[in-house]
This record gives sequence, C-alpha cells and structure tokens, in this order.
Amino acid sequence: MATITVNGARREVQAPGDTPLLYVLRNDLQLTGPQFGCGLAQCGACSVLIDGKEVRSCLTALSDVAPNQEITTLEGLPARWAKHKGLSAEEAKSTLHPVQQAWIEEQTPQCGFCQNGMMIKATELLESNPNPTLKQIKEAYTTSGVSPNLCRCGTYTAIIEAVQRAATLMAKGR
Amino acid sequence: MATKSNKPVDVFGATLTRRQFVKTGGMLAVGISMVGTAPLKGDTPKATIAKNSLDPALPSSWIEIHPDNTVLIRTGKNDFGQGTVFTAYRQIVAEELSMPFEAITTVVSGDTDRTPDGGGSFDFLGRGTPNLRKVAAYTYQALLDLASKKLGAEKDKLSVKDGVVSANGKSISYGDLIKGQELNLTIPVRGDLTNIIGLSVEGNPPMKPVSEYTVIGKSFKNSVIASKVAARETWVTDVHLPGMVHGRVVHPKTLGSTLVSAGKLDKARFPNSQVIVKGNLVGVVAPTEWEAIQAALQVADGTRWTDWKGLPGNTKLYEHLRNDADWKSTPVMKSGATKGDVGPVLASAHRKLSATYQMSYMKHAPIGPTMAVGDVKADGMVHVHTHNQNPQELRGEIAKMLGTSIDHVIVHIYPGPGHYGRSNGGNAGAEDEAVILSQAVGKPVRVQWMRADDMQWSTQSPVSFSDVELAVDDQGKLAAYQIDHFMPPMQDDRPVGAVLAGLPTMPAPDVHGDFITSTANNISDDWLYAEAPHVIERGHGTFQVGQKASPIAVGLRDHSMRTPVQFQQNYPRELAISEAAALAGVDAIQFRINNTREERAIGVLKAVREASGWDTRPSPRPDAVSVGSTPVRGRGVSLMLRDGTYWACVCHIAVTPSTGAIAVEKCALAVDPGIVINPMQLKRQVEGGAMMGISIALLEEVTFDESGITQDDWVSYPILTMADIPEIKVELIHNPKVGAYGGGSEAANALAAPAIAAAFHDATGKAIRRLPMKPAYVQAVLRT
Repeated sequence: MATITVNGARREVQAPGDTPLLYVLRNDLQLTGPQFGCGLAQCGACSVLIDGKEVRSCLTALSDVAPNQEITTLEGLPARWAKHKGLSAEEAKSTLHPVQQAWIEEQTPQCGFCQNGMMIKATELLESNPNPTLKQIKEAYTTSGVSPNLCRCGTYTAIIEAVQRAATLMAKGR
Repeated sequence: MATKSNKPVDVFGATLTRRQFVKTGGMLAVGISMVGTAPLKGDTPKATIAKNSLDPALPSSWIEIHPDNTVLIRTGKNDFGQGTVFTAYRQIVAEELSMPFEAITTVVSGDTDRTPDGGGSFDFLGRGTPNLRKVAAYTYQALLDLASKKLGAEKDKLSVKDGVVSANGKSISYGDLIKGQELNLTIPVRGDLTNIIGLSVEGNPPMKPVSEYTVIGKSFKNSVIASKVAARETWVTDVHLPGMVHGRVVHPKTLGSTLVSAGKLDKARFPNSQVIVKGNLVGVVAPTEWEAIQAALQVADGTRWTDWKGLPGNTKLYEHLRNDADWKSTPVMKSGATKGDVGPVLASAHRKLSATYQMSYMKHAPIGPTMAVGDVKADGMVHVHTHNQNPQELRGEIAKMLGTSIDHVIVHIYPGPGHYGRSNGGNAGAEDEAVILSQAVGKPVRVQWMRADDMQWSTQSPVSFSDVELAVDDQGKLAAYQIDHFMPPMQDDRPVGAVLAGLPTMPAPDVHGDFITSTANNISDDWLYAEAPHVIERGHGTFQVGQKASPIAVGLRDHSMRTPVQFQQNYPRELAISEAAALAGVDAIQFRINNTREERAIGVLKAVREASGWDTRPSPRPDAVSVGSTPVRGRGVSLMLRDGTYWACVCHIAVTPSTGAIAVEKCALAVDPGIVINPMQLKRQVEGGAMMGISIALLEEVTFDESGITQDDWVSYPILTMADIPEIKVELIHNPKVGAYGGGSEAANALAAPAIAAAFHDATGKAIRRLPMKPAYVQAVLRT
C-alpha cells in the first residue's frame, strides 16, 4: 500500500513498492497518457512530471515517489495550466494546456505514441524558459533528460514548431 | 413518396433498388455485390458470406447517409499516423457527394466485423481512386436519380450544394430525400477479403470534375490528433477486458533454438503466475503486469534451449550473399524498361562506371513494441484486439492457426505505435501469441513484447545489394545502364508465435510462392531516364538468410517497410546516376533533366533546385577534400516516382573527415502528387518521412552474430534524435491537370540516402556506396 499525489489528488495504491510507476498509473489508476516504449528510460514515451521535472515512469519505482511529491500526467496538464492561470473550475474543464493546444494547431503527431513524452518535456521546458531558442529546444529534447526523446515517425520539426507556438500561446495567456 | 416503383434503377453499372418503406428514420446504405470469379478465402464457400463480416452481396455499409444529412464512412484500412482515413478520405467522400467536410461525422476503420473491404493499410489513395471515392461517386448518382424524381427534373438540370439538391426553384437535402425509405445501391466489387489487397470496387462511375473541387485542396485537421493529444483516445495499450491477465513470452535463445526444458516458476515469489508451453513457445501469464514481467524473467533464467549457429553474422553478410546464397533457384525478373543492347556499348565506352551498392537490414522499430489482447471464448469465438495494418488478413491467419473458419474470428483495431509496413500482411508480432496463451488459460491475455523482443523477434527490412555497370557518352548523356538487384524476399507473414508453437501458418516465402510470398525480386523502381538508349534492369531473388537452416524455420525473417523494394532499388540507381553525372562532367540535376522525358520529373527537379539553393556545377566540388578536421560541405540530389507521385530531394551535408561524422544541414523536397488533397497533412507526412530517411541513411543497421540479432534496445539500435535534424523545406506542387491523387506517406523515407551519399562524393571526391554511413565506415572510405 502506498500513497501518491497524482494530478492534484491523493491516491492509495495496492501495488508492491518496486512496481514501476508506469504500471501503477496505467493499470491501477487508469491514467493511460504515459505509454510503454522501452522500459529502459531510453525513449521518453512514459514521461510524467514529478514536481515539475520530467521523469521516466518506466524506471521510477512506486516506493521512490514520496506521498507529497506532485505527479502530473498528460491527463493533468489542463488542470496544471488552469491552476497556474487561476482559472475557475468551470473554465478549467473546457481548457487544454497551451502545449496540447499547440500540438493540435500544428498537427504535430503522426502515430502519436511518443507525443505524451514530447508534451511533458515541452511543459517542463516552457515552465522554466518561456521563450526558448531553437538550440534550447533541441537541448531539452536531447541532452536535458536521461536520454533523448525519440520519435520514430520523424515529427521533430513539427515538435519544434509546436513548442514555439505553445510559447506564444502561454505568453498571451490564452 | 416519390419513388412509386420497385423497379431497379441502373446507375452506371450499379443497381439502385428500394427494399421497403420504413416509417421513421431511413438511411441510404451503400452496399456491394461480388462479381468475377475470385471467391472469399478460407473455409468459406464461394458466395457464402462469413459470419461477423459485413455482407458484400447485400447492401451494407461503406457509406451511410443519415436523415440529418450527416455521413458515416467505413474503410478496412486504418490509421498509422498518416491521418489519411480521417482527412483525405473524408475530403474525397465529401467532394464526390458535394457535401461539406464537416458532414462526414464518423469514420469506422479496421474492425473486421464493421468494415467492408480489408486489404493492407498502404496505398491509401489507390492510384487516384480509392474504394471510397468510387463508392461515393456511385452514391452521388443514386441520390441524383432519387432527387430527379422527387423534384420532377431531369438529372442534368439538378444542382447540388452542401448536400442539398435544387431544381425548378425547389430544394431537398439528401437527408430528406432518403427519409422514410431504406434504399439499396448495389455496386460491383471483386477481390479476396483476407489477402494483402482486399476487395476492390469495380466499374467507372462518373467522378466530379477536378475544376469543381471545393473540399479537396484544403488543410483540414486530423480529428484523431486532438483526441490523442488530449488523452481522450483509447489506444490498443489501453484495452482492458474483464478477467484479463498479463502475458509475456520467453522467446528462444537463438533464431534456431528448440526448447530443451522450460524454467520452473518460483511459486513462492509468483503465486498467481502460470507457465504455458506449446512446442517451442514458452509464455508466462500473471494477474498484474509487473508480476508477469518478473515471473517471465525468472522463468527465462531457468529455461534451456539448444544452441544454433546458422547465420553468417553481419560482418560477413555481403560475402555470404555474394558467394553462398542461392540466386539460381528463383527466376530472374526483368523490367519493362529493358531495351537496346547494353553489352557492346559498355565494352567500347571509355567513360564508364562499375560499382556495387549495399543496403543493410533495418528494423521497423516502432516506438512501442508490439502488443495485443487475445480473447478465446468458450464457445469458440476468438477476439483479437490490436493495432494492425491488415486486420482481415490477420483474421485469416488466426483462423488458419486454430484450424477454424474466419466466421469465428473478429479483429478489433485501435491506434498504436506506427510500424511502417510490418503488419501490412496481417501480423505485427504479438497477436498470435496472445491468442495461443488465451486459449491455454481460458481468459483474455494481454501480450506485450518488451523492447528486446521487438528488436530480436520481429521481422526486419531485408539486406540488398546491386551491381551497376553504366557508360556516359561524349555529349554528357547516359549511353548504357545495367543494374542487377539482389535481395531476399520481404513478405514473410507467418505469425512467429504460431511458427514456434508448431501450429499451421501460411508458407514461408519460396520459389513457387504466389505474387506476395514468392522469392522473386520484382523491379519496383520506375525507370525515369528514357533518353538512355540501352538499359537492362534485373532482379535476383533468394531465400531468407538462415530460415531454411533454422531447426524452427525462423532465421532472419523479413518484412516490407515503408517504400519496400523500391527503396532498395532506387538507392543504388539514384546514387549511380549522380556518379554518372560526375563522370560526364555535368551537374547532377541537369544530367537528370537531360536524360528524362518526363515533364513532371523535370518539374520536381527544377522545383527542388530552386528551393534548396542548389549551385549548378559538376561534382565533386573543385575544392573537395577527404582529410582534415575541418568540415567539408557538399550537396546531392535524388529522384523517384512512386504511387503516382514524383519526388526530388536535395541534401546539403557537412563531413568531418577526421571523425567520419556526417551532418545533414539542409534537406529540401519537391513533391508532385497530382492533386494535393490536404497540404498540411501532406507536408507533415513528407517531413516525417524525410527524417526517418536521414536516420536510415546515417544510423540504421541490424547487427547479428551466428545465432541471432545482437541489438536489444535504443542504445544498440540508435535512431535520429532532434539534435541531428536538418533545416527542412517541403515544396508541394499542386498539379490538378493530372486528375488523380498520388501517394504521399511513403517514398519520403527513401530519398535522403542517395542524396546524402551523392553529397558526400561532392564534398570529398570519394564515392560511398553502403548504408548506413556511420563514422567508422566513412573514415574507411576516406582512407581509400
């Protein structure tokens, strides 16, 4: 039995402490935004934010996450933005995070399986650097984490354009 | 009711009938009927429709028009990230029906019990007339017939806008037109539901003139992107059935090992797990995913296999192919471009090239490993939940494996990680294993391959090499060209779990296989240099490496991957053409223009020359350098015709001779597909494909020893990262006079490799003729 905080809510889970967080999120909590890509922290498909930092949930044991640490999954991005902007609960329901909005406007995904991690990484980046340069975006996706975020469909250009659009949307406060 | 008679109405070969009047609702269902002699496959007798299939002989449902003037469309093809079924298909149907894009509210794709036509998810645009375009065109004519009677006007006096038909000052919507009636339009179809092509709609209904298009050509968004981005989509990975258990498979130690003994499960650690052994297939199931993973690792540790060393190893691969492989049993294929008499010209020419080009095995490498849920019910019904490019063919394969009919198999399709052709013949990897394990435990089983399984037990795109002999004349033109392509077959659709379990499968590719399972190496790269007077193109086939020697008939199993066969043939051709231009002392783009007669090929070459900032001059550049630690720069070009689309690509690269590193700095592509259906979606497809192509050119090669594949993760099989992408420019050439839609999601991956290799020659003066162009190999080439 463990307690974790996911997308603003405290959740009790029965899984053994050595269970990778990915399986807890997907199978116990039905938060299926993070995907299983490699199980080796080499691709980023399973990424979540823990206290605002991008973390690979496939190699993060449940017992390594403290009850008061804030886990944010793809599902939690709209609420994270709403909280940041002080939107009402009603407004929050109909709001996407600007990163998600930009991903749609730029038609970024092809198969989309890696894009959970790409959007999590974009959120981490833009929260600390609201106006990143091209070089900084490339660094975020290749050297800032434990491995580069990989996309097999080759959407890297579309990701860069979406990050830039998200930065604009966030600056405008949407 | 306007339609007073039950007399069938002929609609350009299709038949419109009214089955009955209904009191409420009403729907125009467009069905299909079988013509010709091709029967349905499997145990199903001819003209008998499989249960759990849409009945192709009765009015069914390609297209439903509802009373509220909304439309549902169905297609057996499904989305792999191209977005075509959600964008282009909607646009094509809306256009032919003269309705707005938004009227096409629902797209049903893939599921074998809910879609009519089957076939692999490739060639979505069907050389300009995909099934749904014809169906929509037939439907439009039927609607006009109905409206003609209702409005009391001849068909040619009717006008249609946004699904509303008008004449004589009166108007009626399609929805009102069909309200209260159930009407059937029966259209001709032929083919085989469970093969790689599926069913094709026949006949020639009149199509809307391109000049009247209002929906095609606009950048509508792909609806599934929004649901994926907002975490609202149900992916295949999210399928969770009541009572479902998690499965992992312990694959053999080598690609030729047989099972000696399965490991014993540590029941103290894994009290709820179970080991299943069937032939050489060892599976572990458990109630939770984490227990299944750990239990499978523990069982794998204790499982004993025979050893096998039947592969040449990748370091001796080309030597093996050249000297030991059997190229004699398979008939040599020739292309239609063959003409003249190459031999004497080559013999007497003084400017000629003789070279061999090599291309590695590579992995489809989906970002998520294959995964499926099998659910074998007590009553014999089998459900498979998966992400698959050819659900109807998978259905046939599962039925064959279990010795049942396709009546008893339903394949359900969900979005998943793209795998670029791997399942266009029906299996992605995990489906058959999930079914076998489900049958054994009597519960739904979710089989998820781990990354290593996907690297080592999936199929791969086969190795190839090509021998080129060519000559250029004193006028700088191609005088003679001869190419011999050598490649193992690339369509092994045997489900590997069934093979391991010793259950029935289709045969492995062989000399006497059919058009898809044959070892024959057909010429697939359209010849574009018609000015050349003497041409020979030959394709030589052999067996899959290690398959016959493997005691379990596995070895290196191959499968088509994005731009299959044509990539393996276009790379050597285009690189050789660039080398021929250098030999002739002519600029590489101009040399191509001088040697082709095809206007659209010239069009893309000129467009890419402009877009890329190409400097017209012969290669290599005058100051080409092959030593030193200062990067040297060059540019190269490539050209292809695929699925009705002309492509040209220019890559600008920087080579650092001392390290062997190649950086692609700029990549420009010009694409003429005829009619551009959706510019935004096509641009994204092209960009993505180009990146994959750069990845393949620079990084990708399957490594293996005498026993099996030695890569098991993204470190040992690296792909391109964002750090190494070039500046990319895509020029779309909308060419409506072509009157058809060329394909867009393939080909882009094949263009970079020959352009990069030609740019390397331009920069350094050294020819590089093997993929991938990794630093150690590059350094070796520069030392020659």
